[in-house]
Amino acid sequence: MADFVQLVVLGLLAGGVYVAVGIGFGLVWGVLNIVNLAHGALVIIGGYITWQLFSAFHIDPFLSLPVDAVALFVLGYTLQRGVINRIIRAPLLFTFLLTFGLNLVIINVLLLMFGSDFRSVTPSYSGQGLELGNVVVPYTRLASLGVAILTAAALAFVLNRTRIGLAINAISADRDAAQLVGIDLRHAYAMTYGLGAACAGVAGGLIAMIQAITPTAGEPYTLQAFVVVILGGLGRVSATVVGGLAFGLVEAFGQSIPGSGSVFANAIAFGLMVLVLVTRPQGLMGRLR
Amino acid sequence: MSAPLASQLELRDVTKRFGGVAAVDGVTFDIAKGDIVGIIGPNGAGKTTLLNCISGLQRLDGGDIRWQGDSISGLAPHRIAKLGIGRTFQIVRPFGSMTVRENAAIGALFGSAEARRRPKEAFEQADEVLELVGLKAKAGLAVSTLTIPDRKRLEVARAVATKPQLLLLDEVMAGLNNVEIDEALDMVRAVHATGVTVLLIEHVMRVIVGVCRRAIVLDFGQVLAQGEPEVVLRDERVIQAYLGERYAKRRQP
Amino acid sequence: MIAGAIIATYALLAPLTSLDAVQSAGVPLLADKLWFRIATYIAMFMVMATAWNIIGGITGYAAFGNVAFFGIGAYTTGMLVAKAKWPFLAALPLAPVVASAFAALIGLPLLRLRGHYFAVASLGVGVAVGELVQNIDYAGQPLFGGASGLFLPILSIDNRGLFFFYLMLAAAAIAIAVTWWVLRSRFGYGLIAIRENEEAASVIGVNTTAYKVGAFALAAALTGLAGGIFSQWNVFINQDNAFPIEYNVQMILMALIGGTGTVFGPAAGAVLLQLLIQFLGGSLPISFDIPFVSTDARPIVAQVILGVLLVVVVIFMPRGVIDFFGGRSRLSLSYLRRSLRETSL
Repeated sequence: MADFVQLVVLGLLAGGVYVAVGIGFGLVWGVLNIVNLAHGALVIIGGYITWQLFSAFHIDPFLSLPVDAVALFVLGYTLQRGVINRIIRAPLLFTFLLTFGLNLVIINVLLLMFGSDFRSVTPSYSGQGLELGNVVVPYTRLASLGVAILTAAALAFVLNRTRIGLAINAISADRDAAQLVGIDLRHAYAMTYGLGAACAGVAGGLIAMIQAITPTAGEPYTLQAFVVVILGGLGRVSATVVGGLAFGLVEAFGQSIPGSGSVFANAIAFGLMVLVLVTRPQGLMGRLR
Repeated sequence: MSAPLASQLELRDVTKRFGGVAAVDGVTFDIAKGDIVGIIGPNGAGKTTLLNCISGLQRLDGGDIRWQGDSISGLAPHRIAKLGIGRTFQIVRPFGSMTVRENAAIGALFGSAEARRRPKEAFEQADEVLELVGLKAKAGLAVSTLTIPDRKRLEVARAVATKPQLLLLDEVMAGLNNVEIDEALDMVRAVHATGVTVLLIEHVMRVIVGVCRRAIVLDFGQVLAQGEPEVVLRDERVIQAYLGERYAKRRQP
Repeated sequence: MIAGAIIATYALLAPLTSLDAVQSAGVPLLADKLWFRIATYIAMFMVMATAWNIIGGITGYAAFGNVAFFGIGAYTTGMLVAKAKWPFLAALPLAPVVASAFAALIGLPLLRLRGHYFAVASLGVGVAVGELVQNIDYAGQPLFGGASGLFLPILSIDNRGLFFFYLMLAAAAIAIAVTWWVLRSRFGYGLIAIRENEEAASVIGVNTTAYKVGAFALAAALTGLAGGIFSQWNVFINQDNAFPIEYNVQMILMALIGGTGTVFGPAAGAVLLQLLIQFLGGSLPISFDIPFVSTDARPIVAQVILGVLLVVVVIFMPRGVIDFFGGRSRLSLSYLRRSLRETSL
């Protein structure tokens, strides 16, 4: 029983990162209908910003999260406005290829800038943690779950309570009608992608505290974000939160199966995803669209 | 089947729900071989859903559909097509990258047990069908160049090319003007004259009276009335169903 | 497309002519070995792009995980040769068999998905299979060689380079011939009908499930064949070289550049893109210098250029590449402007 509780706690903590990674990805997918293969690369940019600020200026990683968000927002807005908007009406395959191309560029530019060495962010408190049975849960993990939930709440607030959020909701429901009531599509699309990227930046900052990063470390997160969004159901931030936590739980329990270890994380994730897609395509929380 | 005029298609208590709403609610009727029957009803009465149930695109939630005595409920759409039930879609769905002739030929290439299996034979059969629906002159054209009435003809041609014994037509006259409707009526009569049973959904009363021997009125997913078109259309409840709809329409902004 | 075919012919004849030329000139054999390697890679991608075209181009299902079949083919032949000591030519036919059986198995659930869902689910399968192959243990030992990979005994024949080049070329010829047949057959018409409108195809009698799975398995068989040849050619296989994720995108891009749904287009695209990749990577004998870039950073810069190129191609010619290789349009400024207008906001 203690093991069970422990696994649940560990799973939820791991789920925090998946929530952070998933919400931005889900926003871009749900509103722009783009499966953003560059999402993991954006995440890792956030990680490198946090690492750079920490290693060069000793800025606490939690304090650098807003910097990650703003920097990635600007980058995301520019990318959408300057590049992705140009093929937004092309068939699915092209947005796929385009975002893969962006992914390739970002990762290799990071390789040129930072090399392929592992980088980690280790503030003085990184070793401390809460004792839980026979494991120690680092405070950074606890805090990052909190930050992830807060980020999700902030995103939900922006989407539901602000002018731009309502505009984004409108274009997601009906692009043409939104245009007719005077919404500037190019701006609203760029804002959407910018917000998605900002969430990715925060996720990257959190990830830099939890694991050592390399330029390619974001790639698994793209696929995992996809699974998280499918698991929860496309279209709502709250659904993605549920999906992210559920994914963390599945991973924790999957890895606890004797002999499986961490190496089957992807296999378990995708097995689960296909199962959900085939049996409940609207996700755990979603409504059929 | 002992009856002299054998029932080809029998619907018994057919029910289909979406969420809590019954789009088709306990519908029962028979279609005799060689007959030509119209289904009418206001928007949202469940007409297209009923066709989707017959052609296997939607699974039944209750009741049974029998084809020549055997149940076809739950069969995949292609199995039902092979048994000899063809259909058109209200919003036409041509194979866009192909020519008119190729579209019809695909119907012939697959389709019912009587359809052709070799591409060369299928193209010959496609030519016959295009002649029947009046598209022969446009056989070589790309679908994208066709007018709306011609696209509707192509939709019928592709279904007829499958050599069905029963043809389900979903509002082939919708959106056509009076002259075009007359031409389309001739086309339906020509197809029926080749021995195909026809079940057609229509919104236009004139069509039902013009070609159908029998009419079935659907309202809120249920059969409101059925019989000879002239009789059915004078039925008090039918008039009410339609008037009600017209009032509702007027009230919309 | 004709231009592409001509380039393809030249690229494939190049090693033969260079072999004669190089030998008569008495130059060391390094140069033609390199050419054989590049030409064999080109032929390998011709197979993969042509195979992807069957499920992606003709059937319209954007498969993003076909590299799984390449890897399964490679490991099937690799295991039979390395562990069961089968002769290579006996082990090779099993590569397409196992790959297509696997495709049929996962195709049944996967091909019920559409659009993004199918694309990413297939991508996930590609990743997951690679991981499983590397990590499955049996009785404490890695079943498929594990992280250290699988070594195959080197084939003891003369002119190995030439042999594998012709073998891969034969696989490409088979892939192209199969596509040619598909496009003329009832099967192919059914696949195109599914691409154009799946529901309409089903009500005229196309068994959509069987056809989709059939197309997927066919593509898998051809891709698996290329993988099988690769394993013996390369002598060493592991997760990195048998399941490289970037192949997924490369084969699609090749098919798009050359023309999806056509017989020769994907193969022509494979020649163009693979030559470009090798050129940027500095593997071609006709080499060049990138200013301000050290030799170490060169492969990375090449990837950046490739990424930018991918973005530019996709933005400016979403339909274009296909169109003008098909002879329907000419590359011009007004063409690029029109193509931008059609897809941008």
